[in-house]
Amino acid sequence: MKKIERRAVVCSILALLLTIGMGIFLFRYLTDGGSWASSAFNRHLYHTDGVLASGTVLDRDGDVLSTVENGKRTYYDNETVRKATLHAVGDLQGNIGTGALNAFADKLTGYSLLNGAFGADRGSDLYLTIDARYNYEAYQALNGHAGTVAVYNYKTGEILCMVSAPSYDPLHVPSDIESNDRYKGTYLNRFLSSTFTPGSVYKTVTLAAALEELSDLENRTWTCQGSVQIGDETIVCSGTHGEQHIGDAFANSCNVAFAQIAEELGAETLKTYTEKAGLTDSYDINGLPTAKGSFSWENITDGQLGWAGVGQYKDQVNPCALMVYMGAIAGGGKAAQPYLIEKTVSALGIPSIPHITRKTGMLVSTATAEKLSDMMADNVEKTYGRDRFPNMDICAKSGTAEVGEEQRPHAWFAGFLRNEDAPYAFVVLVENGGGGSSVAGTVAGRVLDTIVNGY
Amino acid sequence: MERLTALLQTLLDTVTALLAEYPMAGEWYMAFVRFLFPVLAILILYRAVRSLLKIPHTPETWGQLSLPNGAPILLTHWENIIGRSKTADVYLNYPSISRQHAALCRGKDENWTIYDLGSKGGTLVNGEKVEDSAPVKLGDTIMLGGVPLVFLPQTVAEREAMEEKRRAERPATIWPSFLWLTLFQVLACLQLIVAAGTEAPVMIPLAFFGLTIVMWLYFAILRTTHCVGFEMETIAFFLSTLSLAVTASSAPGSLFKQFVAILLGLVLFLVLGLFLRDLGRVQKNRWLMAAAAIALLGITLVIGKSKYGAVNWISIGPLSFQPSEIAKICYIFAGSATLERLFHKRNLTLFILLTGVCIGCLGLMSDFGTAAIFFVTFLVIAYMRSGDFATLSLICGGAVFGAGIIVKFKPYILSRFASWGHAWEAASTTGYQQTRTMSAAASGGLLGMGAGNGWLHSVPAADTDLVFGMLCEEWGLLIAFLAVGSIITLAFFAARACRVGRSSFYTIAACAAGSLLVFQTCLNVFGSVDLLPLTGVTFPFVSNGGSAMMSAWGLLAFLKATDTRENASFAIQRGPQRRLTEAARRRAEMVEDPFGTEEEADDEED
Repeated sequence: MKKIERRAVVCSILALLLTIGMGIFLFRYLTDGGSWASSAFNRHLYHTDGVLASGTVLDRDGDVLSTVENGKRTYYDNETVRKATLHAVGDLQGNIGTGALNAFADKLTGYSLLNGAFGADRGSDLYLTIDARYNYEAYQALNGHAGTVAVYNYKTGEILCMVSAPSYDPLHVPSDIESNDRYKGTYLNRFLSSTFTPGSVYKTVTLAAALEELSDLENRTWTCQGSVQIGDETIVCSGTHGEQHIGDAFANSCNVAFAQIAEELGAETLKTYTEKAGLTDSYDINGLPTAKGSFSWENITDGQLGWAGVGQYKDQVNPCALMVYMGAIAGGGKAAQPYLIEKTVSALGIPSIPHITRKTGMLVSTATAEKLSDMMADNVEKTYGRDRFPNMDICAKSGTAEVGEEQRPHAWFAGFLRNEDAPYAFVVLVENGGGGSSVAGTVAGRVLDTIVNGY
Repeated sequence: MERLTALLQTLLDTVTALLAEYPMAGEWYMAFVRFLFPVLAILILYRAVRSLLKIPHTPETWGQLSLPNGAPILLTHWENIIGRSKTADVYLNYPSISRQHAALCRGKDENWTIYDLGSKGGTLVNGEKVEDSAPVKLGDTIMLGGVPLVFLPQTVAEREAMEEKRRAERPATIWPSFLWLTLFQVLACLQLIVAAGTEAPVMIPLAFFGLTIVMWLYFAILRTTHCVGFEMETIAFFLSTLSLAVTASSAPGSLFKQFVAILLGLVLFLVLGLFLRDLGRVQKNRWLMAAAAIALLGITLVIGKSKYGAVNWISIGPLSFQPSEIAKICYIFAGSATLERLFHKRNLTLFILLTGVCIGCLGLMSDFGTAAIFFVTFLVIAYMRSGDFATLSLICGGAVFGAGIIVKFKPYILSRFASWGHAWEAASTTGYQQTRTMSAAASGGLLGMGAGNGWLHSVPAADTDLVFGMLCEEWGLLIAFLAVGSIITLAFFAARACRVGRSSFYTIAACAAGSLLVFQTCLNVFGSVDLLPLTGVTFPFVSNGGSAMMSAWGLLAFLKATDTRENASFAIQRGPQRRLTEAARRRAEMVEDPFGTEEEADDEED
């Protein structure tokens, strides 16, 4: 008998295997359960057509951007507002992964791993930090161009305006959306998920490096005769600026001066300052990762370095990262991390924990940030025109990024306001828009005017 | 009868109509009880599980062998191996004694027999050499390799001390668990009615009410026979309650059938348990059971119908039935063996033959899940009988080879399991059921959506093969894990109880039944969540299905038959122990009062 008793251990081993298996299942449940639950066929969270069954998306003022009425998901009444807020709100088919309906499905339905989908049929109210009005203005200002407009409060981190174009009406999805070039990349939120050649807006980084690394910078002058030969590259300038101090060179956005500065600084130094500025990092916006910018510093020739120093060559920058860098210059080196969800309110009226503002690291030193701010304010004074930005203590840098022989350049305009009551950093990109100041600057002016001066 | 149910239905309709007028009442009820259910489940199971896993138990004693130096060795089984090996039940460290020298077995009518197991030193009873076996009576002297042992009964004092010890270890009182379970059933029934709304069929309260009544009746009847162990029944009734809930949610029309299945299962449990009490009777019927297993599977093969790809159903009129479920019980019955038999037939040939026929039939039915269950059960029984790793490894290798050949000639079999591990990549084809199960399970969270509030039941086989998903979705992860934990507890108990088992038949059968339940749970749970291929077997006690329910209850009888704790099990004869004490008392009186009148032994109960 004792022998058989010992052999009974096989029964315990099987029971142990079942226990271990349950452990594995529990582990997978805890790690992947969220994505299991957010399958479109989960009837607790989605309708039969895969549309999120409950939850209301509102803007910061409480304007309903999307909700469920009589079992059907609806959007804002105005078509332009629907287009302007599409990338923030999300579509019905789940193609725009960064939209709230897809990315924040758990918050909208109140789903959690511990509580499950209980009460999900009633849904929660999710308040975004954006204002539908600002998005509307920005979308109108883009005037059919592809691009992105974003404004955020660099002290709190709230994103007030976030538009990506091309966009479409989620209630009437164009039938040629996959084939028509007009809608190329329409599912992408360009602000979060794309990178672009920065052009002259990158000079804010080159200048930050120069201000710290070249001690006699402010006493030196550069002479621009329209172009300069560095190595085997000819760096072409937008004009013939003659002899200029650094401030003038920055205001003129002189490629000749900045290419020479970049060559003098060297690839390593530029790489260090680019990384410090956060342009190669990814930001986490309520769980949504931004695209990382990319640069190529390895085995770079002097001529290529000259182009890289003025934001050309292989430089690629994410609009959000650039906007945060602008915020950091405004904030003396640090900016608030941007976020999109103001608050959620459950069906029982219980609000979520308020957002806690987190700061970035030092993207630029405080002294340099102050100098940069003043020089960017001078840009507006000297080049862009202060009249275009009423009641704004604005600091900005434009960019006209060459993206190929046949194409019009990308127009950039990035900067911030120093107003105590309007601490906003912004970025505007108009793809193949043309001149930075003239095209993107106008878009920025219109949006900022609405935000600062009201309707 | 029909008029009565119609009347009750109208009554229920009035109640649900009233509920429909106050929808918030139902909402609040559901929001509240979902916290209560896991608490109740823990209250129900805590006692039962703790009591089942408590060790050690003082074993029953059946006599003693007195050594030359006067030290007694207690015989705690009906089958005892005597030898120099550490694994011998009566361990005698004398060089002249073989490692496995002899076996002392208690046969029918309380007669003992000694078997010589081919010892070198030889075995003598009262000076006469034992060739193969010889009867032994109390007071006889047994000589093993020259070492004299005296086979003696215990004295009254010894027996009373043992009985006192065993009484102190009696199973915990279980009626609080039954009370909690009743509350659980009432709340679950209400929850299902609230969830079903105005369409709630009257069968929901009737089935739950019926189960409660049956449960308490069972308790009351067994209590009158002084049975005190109800742990396994608590677990089984708890899981059966979940089964009713799952059925009410997925197929309310089958509720009556499922209730009857529980009832029949309980009857089978009782009948089989009572049948198992008499080892002699059991041994005579092993052949019959082997034949029954083959017959059940054979008939299915001939006239079986296909459901979900496996041809394992027999339909007689309106009744459909899965004979392979009952064949499991017959198979374990036929496969387990007493030690006595193991000496005579060391090899496993006949058992392997039986297994081959059974698995062959199942393979032809394409019921690979059940075939795997039979194979694992075979391995457990074969290992417990022979302890022979080498042969079993060979058999395993052969099985893998055979499976390889089958797959080579019938590659379409594999296609059923093609999405294993990649269910999400085939979410709309072969991974359909698994992905739905996982999604629904994750929707339940810890506490579940509430019984009757799921959607998984609309997926095919949700209340059978995917029932774990339904438990997670509607009852929550906590209760789903408690259900699996209950099965694990049963298996651990089976392994533990061997220590104090009477005969190796019971021990082997209990371990086989425990292993079968655990393995079947593995296949069901892990198959449905894509950790194993989905083979379509049921979750013991929980899945909707009459044959499966009866089979689970029947298997529980094997576990019940190995529970030798004092007065714990109806499947254990209490008479033999009592008679031993009485005999000891009588002997003591005779010594004290040689002229006293002898009292008749009281044989009211065997």
